[in-house]
Amino acid sequence: MTFTSPVLSYTLLSPILILLGGALIGVLVEAFASKARRPVIQLTLSLGTLLLALMQLWRIRGEQSLTPAMGSLVFDGAAVLIQGSILIIAIISIFLIADTEHFTPLAAALPGSTEEREAAQAGNQVTEVYPLTLFAVSGMMIFPVATDLIMLFVALEVLSLPLYLMAGLSRRRRLASQESALKYFLLGSFASAFFLFGAAYLYGFAGSISFSGIQAAVVGGTGNDVLLLIGMSFLSIGLLFKVGAVPFHSWSPDVYQGAPTPITAFMAAATKVAAFGAMLRIYYTVFANAEWSWIPVISAIAIVSMILGSLVAIAQRDVKRMLAYSSIAHAGFLLSGIIALNKAGLDATIFYLFAYGVATVGGFAVVTLVRDSSGEVTDLNRWKGLGKRSPFAASAFALFLLAFAGIPLTSGFIGKFSIFSAAYENGATAVVITGVLSSAVAAFFYIRVIVLMFFTDAVEDGTAVEVPSILTRATVVISAVITLVLGIYPAPVLDFITDLAIFIR
Amino acid sequence: MTTSTSLIYLIALPLAGAAILLLGGRRTNKWGHLLGTAMSASSFGVGLYQLMLMLDRPTEQRPITQKLFEWIHVGDFQVDAGLLLDQLSICFVLLITGVGTLIHIYSISYMSEDKDRRRFFAYLNLFIAAMLLLVLGDSYLSLYVGWEGVGLASYLLIGFWNQKPAYATASKKAFVMNRVGDMGLSFAIMIAFATMGTVSFVGVQEQVNNTSEAALTAMGIMLLVAAAGKSAQFPLQAWLGDAMAGPTPVSALIHAATMVTAGVYLITRSNFVFDAAPTAQLVVVIVGAITLMFGAVIGTAKDDIKKALAASTMSQIGYMTLAAGLGPVGYAFAIMHLLTHGFFKAGMFLGAGSVMHGMNDEVNMRKYGALRKFMPITFVTFGLGYLAILGVPPFAGFYSKDLIIETAFDAGGAKGIILGITTLIGASITAFYMTRVMILTFTGTKRWDDDAHPHESPWLMWLPMAILAIGSVSSGYLLSRGDALENWLHPLFNHSDEYQKHLIEPIVVSAMALTMVSIGVAIAYFKYARREVPSVAPEDVSIFTKVARQDLMQDRFNEAVFMRPGQALTTTLVAADEAVVDGAVRGVGQVAMGSGSALRGLQNGYVRSYAAMILVGAIALIGAIWVVVQ
Amino acid sequence: MLLPLAGAAIISALPKGNEKAAKQAALGTTLVVMAATIAMAVGFQRDNVELQFVEKYEWIPSFGINFSLGVDAIALVLILMSTILAPIVVLAGWDEAHGGRWSVKTFYILILVLETMMIGVFAATDLFLFYVIFEAMLIPVYFLIGGYGTGERAAAAVKFLLYSLFGGLMMLASIIALYVMSGDQGGHTFDIDKLSQLQMSSTTQNLLFLGFFIAFAIKAPLWPFHTWLPDAAKSATPGTSVLLLGVLDKVGTFGMIRYCLTLFPEASKTFTPLIMVLAVISILYGAFLAIGAKDIKRLIAYTSISHFGFITLGIFAMTSQAQSGAILYMFNHGFSTAALFVVAGWMIARRGSSTIADFGGLQRVTPIMAWSFFIAGLSSLALPGLSSFVSEFLVLVGTFTRYPVHAIIATFGIVLAALYILIPVQKALHGPTTPGNENLKDLNLREKLVIAPVIAIIVVLGFYPSPLLNVINPAAKHVVSQMGFTDPAPTNGGK
Repeated sequence: MTFTSPVLSYTLLSPILILLGGALIGVLVEAFASKARRPVIQLTLSLGTLLLALMQLWRIRGEQSLTPAMGSLVFDGAAVLIQGSILIIAIISIFLIADTEHFTPLAAALPGSTEEREAAQAGNQVTEVYPLTLFAVSGMMIFPVATDLIMLFVALEVLSLPLYLMAGLSRRRRLASQESALKYFLLGSFASAFFLFGAAYLYGFAGSISFSGIQAAVVGGTGNDVLLLIGMSFLSIGLLFKVGAVPFHSWSPDVYQGAPTPITAFMAAATKVAAFGAMLRIYYTVFANAEWSWIPVISAIAIVSMILGSLVAIAQRDVKRMLAYSSIAHAGFLLSGIIALNKAGLDATIFYLFAYGVATVGGFAVVTLVRDSSGEVTDLNRWKGLGKRSPFAASAFALFLLAFAGIPLTSGFIGKFSIFSAAYENGATAVVITGVLSSAVAAFFYIRVIVLMFFTDAVEDGTAVEVPSILTRATVVISAVITLVLGIYPAPVLDFITDLAIFIR
Repeated sequence: MTTSTSLIYLIALPLAGAAILLLGGRRTNKWGHLLGTAMSASSFGVGLYQLMLMLDRPTEQRPITQKLFEWIHVGDFQVDAGLLLDQLSICFVLLITGVGTLIHIYSISYMSEDKDRRRFFAYLNLFIAAMLLLVLGDSYLSLYVGWEGVGLASYLLIGFWNQKPAYATASKKAFVMNRVGDMGLSFAIMIAFATMGTVSFVGVQEQVNNTSEAALTAMGIMLLVAAAGKSAQFPLQAWLGDAMAGPTPVSALIHAATMVTAGVYLITRSNFVFDAAPTAQLVVVIVGAITLMFGAVIGTAKDDIKKALAASTMSQIGYMTLAAGLGPVGYAFAIMHLLTHGFFKAGMFLGAGSVMHGMNDEVNMRKYGALRKFMPITFVTFGLGYLAILGVPPFAGFYSKDLIIETAFDAGGAKGIILGITTLIGASITAFYMTRVMILTFTGTKRWDDDAHPHESPWLMWLPMAILAIGSVSSGYLLSRGDALENWLHPLFNHSDEYQKHLIEPIVVSAMALTMVSIGVAIAYFKYARREVPSVAPEDVSIFTKVARQDLMQDRFNEAVFMRPGQALTTTLVAADEAVVDGAVRGVGQVAMGSGSALRGLQNGYVRSYAAMILVGAIALIGAIWVVVQ
Repeated sequence: MLLPLAGAAIISALPKGNEKAAKQAALGTTLVVMAATIAMAVGFQRDNVELQFVEKYEWIPSFGINFSLGVDAIALVLILMSTILAPIVVLAGWDEAHGGRWSVKTFYILILVLETMMIGVFAATDLFLFYVIFEAMLIPVYFLIGGYGTGERAAAAVKFLLYSLFGGLMMLASIIALYVMSGDQGGHTFDIDKLSQLQMSSTTQNLLFLGFFIAFAIKAPLWPFHTWLPDAAKSATPGTSVLLLGVLDKVGTFGMIRYCLTLFPEASKTFTPLIMVLAVISILYGAFLAIGAKDIKRLIAYTSISHFGFITLGIFAMTSQAQSGAILYMFNHGFSTAALFVVAGWMIARRGSSTIADFGGLQRVTPIMAWSFFIAGLSSLALPGLSSFVSEFLVLVGTFTRYPVHAIIATFGIVLAALYILIPVQKALHGPTTPGNENLKDLNLREKLVIAPVIAIIVVLGFYPSPLLNVINPAAKHVVSQMGFTDPAPTNGGK
């Protein structure tokens, strides 16, 4: 028995490695730096790491290789795009996270306990959140480039575990926050179990854990279809859970609501990108030749997600829950990109992911601004007259809502258009029609919020709009600008994507 | 056809007057009425001048045209704004501008009290212009413009005192009922274009021969509808009575002499259509006959002097329509009666106006009486008009009306008999109600209220009356001497030139007519002159009278058949729009929301049920794939 | 097209406090734009049915989307109308922005942005561009209604937006299908000419046609898609209403000609019978509701529904007369409605109520205002000699030659028109002066300056429509012949 020493092409892995390194340093900082200085150091550190990773990614954007890490990872254009999106989203989310107002001073303390109070008086801050974020990001970076089941699973866990923790860190309503964290964890593990189970079946089917092996088996038609199908569906469950598609969505409203808003923003945006990135790769390469079996099913899931997401969102009275449901609907829209199963679909999905992610972060960023003495105000009825109180926040939020609704001149419209036309090209007429109709329904509640903000008079209940900190303002402005630019003149980005987006096998 | 460049002035002058007075606003108050009169008069002058020119030209060159500008050119639909002056329209031009001018003069004094006199003259000018356009237009479409123009002017003038709600309503009623007629006109035009590809008089005339009779009949009947609306013919007559709400000069000019005769003009102008469509002609005759009786009967029961005259107008136009329906022979007589009627009816209306002027605007004849002594000139002029309408020789009506009666008999067969009898009876009833008017107003004992101080009107008012009276005396004789008018118009109508043998000798007809008339007079005399006339209308009257006072239920009918259902429909639609159409939409919204909050129930917060949901989903997934595989 | 945008920029640059400057800037811009458009109209070759003044820039090449503009006679006429109406609206509603939720400045920015889009939507020759503007237009209008309107403005704005969005999405579905098909048949494109040459099965064509038509029918609005209009019109400021009914709704009828007919000739023919019936229903239905209306703004809205019925009738009757009539009607309706709304707006502003019954005897108190309203009304009931008559009559005649029955029923509309105009005229202008109206002010100079040109246009075009007709004609003929129709010959074979 001989060991072949692993051959790694460090350049191609560098972005990931940079992130992991940054995260580790962050941990050290937690251990050694003094309380007072930690926040600043952590922020600069993680920001720097992310930027560095991004720059590195940009430098190597042209490259591609099947074996950057012994064939268990891959590096290609699509990877660049997806990783890039993740990094950008992470960067703007970091700005939000930096606003410590959201986090409990002492995560370990019982809610309302004396320790907590003391910690608060001591002005403690949970700076652990930064390294956690970085770990999560690196997991997300690996997820869409993993090319064997084990690596895929590892990535999944690396990105999930930090999120479970971070969801519980809320300063206000800690019980709800911790509850949500627990839910997320339990259900997450449940999904992971399915995922593993599926992986096992696929191994049973193909006798290999590498994507190429499985794909070969699928193409070759050798092997037992039942195993393939079961494996495929269980694997999918794991992924669909992460993107929050019906009927695997149930966690998202509660978690979105419970988690500290910056985390929600990060989670909602980045996780979707990563997870869909992975799905794209898997369905476009591994299972591409088994489309006859999965396209109908995924279509069904897409349709249900769109309808349920849009309908239930109407009935929501809480901003974060509403956004949660709208994200479910958007998961449906994105799935239609998977169904498209063609180049156009790939480009469209990537564009959509980026546009949606940015808008989402922006949206939640605005949510963090609306507060009263006891923290954020997420009850829609108290958003009345926001337009008067803070035109900045209100109009930014309106813009993001319009983008979600897919109104022309916002990124959302280009996204919807391209993804639907791609799906239609592959004959998914039903999906497209449903998509269009549910967008109409969705428009209804987005507009209702706009009405609340602009056309109804404010209720004087101390709901105020925090003067945004520079960082939060930056988040909002950046997201808004991107949303508009992608809506008005998307050509450069689209071309960039079209040129780059390919999966190598 | 020879072209001219000066026709436009006929219209331009009064139009300019109207424009100046309306746009000029209060600034023109001082001299507004003078300008208006001047414009009308000068237009009359142009008319006379044109007549001279026309007389100088040999018959076949008499009609002249003027192309103003290209109006609507779309595909085959080519209409220019053009004018046509021929023997027929010149008659109208002179009538309109002549009588019009007189009435302008009359109004200077009649309206002197009214602070809006300037506006009144503006409207009058507007009317003259529109009416001239109506009779000068060289195509049905340009006629249409004048047609609605006079409608507008009439609307404005009827509602001149629209601060009184009743008057405002009257004007609206008039306009709407006219619109029904106008609809007929537009149908006629559409038919003309669809079948013959042209809407100009000349064009249609050329095309008549190779056009199906059905189409022509349809067109003819639609033209009749239009005529009925404008000329208050059955069944669109109801507005005329209420139209008396307008100032009396208006009633004289528009609702007696000119506008209401536009229908007759339209029919005679379209003679080529009707000649080719006997059915349509028959309908015309019937409508004429009905209206003739209808108006006459109403006339017998009216105590309001203006309404009585209005009813008589309706009936007299019935005569004209009937004549026009009798084909080539009838047209000329229709026009002749139209002209004579223009004189005497306008004269009588002005007379009525002067009476009201003296009786501080009292219109109820039962409150008149014995005015002969107080306003002699009015009495004389009115009396002359009275003799004229009765058809007493040698007054105007004698010539024109007898001719119509003759023609009616000449129609031959049962038709001839029926029409003849109708016209005769009509004549007798006319005699009755006109005598009644005379007696109630001028003779007998005074029945007026104490605050009334009857007095003769100033010369500005009686002069026009006098002139018109002269007209009522002489016009009939002049026009019929040597069949002057008949020959004048002859080239326009395709007569069968051979001598028309009268079935009954004219002299006999005249005799019959006179007898009928004298019977009517006699009855009226015994009924009103011999007995005391109560100053309030007696209630214990025959059902006949009651119905007649109700205008033979015309309004009741319209209300029952059109207004109420219409209103009902409107209200229901309004409700339906709210409830059904809009409701449906809102319903969809409700459903969406409902299902939304229903599905929301799934989100109960328990991890176990979420997990269950995932599990179910997983099983469903397997199931689905299984199905796919099989 | 970019001019108004520049204007908007200027205004947004202005200090918030300085409302007067904002107004003047807005007025100035709109006037400049008007001048520019008129210049363009003069330079337009009337007998050339091809697009003119074409500009084309790449926008989103990867989807074959171009930012391409160009006008044919139809678009030209509508752009002309829009740009003439814009300054009128600005000047007419000099003070209407003050009641709003936001600054006067914002109001005029919105107006100008809207004008930009109005021009763009008519000039767009790229389907995608058209759609983008078509949808984006909703936003400024939505804020104009919701932010500066009266009464139930928020609700009305939402209703308007949802209706339009729904229609828009229907259209989007069709557009996607077209786009994909164009991809299968030689290269993705949104160029209307290229799209019109696509091969597609009749079923597909019918479905896609419906997608477009519903969107336009909602815009137009055609019965039974009309219920948003009265609410919107009632709640919007008069100026906004003018733009809404006068211009935006034209996008619907314009779209029917430009897109429904050219892209789906076969389907258009298939659905013509249905559409003709809807049009006739709209004519009468709108008229009846107008008669029943108690609120003056709702009344005008309903009359418009009736008028749009006529326009649609003319479009689908497929004769050059009806087609030209319809196009001319779009133009004329813009002005008669503008006049009605503007004057009504002044009446309401003075009286502080929009209920017809609250007025009365205005002719005695404020003669000029009363007259303006009256003339506008006459034009709306298509009195011969006023502009609307020519168009309405052309539509009827043209329709009659092919669909006599429809034409006959539609013609009853003119009697109803007399009612729905004269009833309010009687209630509001005639009769005794009702208490509260005794000392209303008559029009001031600015208002006279606004109404005079409108009325002038109405009257002049009534007697002398040729300048416009001669431009419209070739285009109308072109449309009809493209659809493979020729005017029915006189049934007697002519001579």
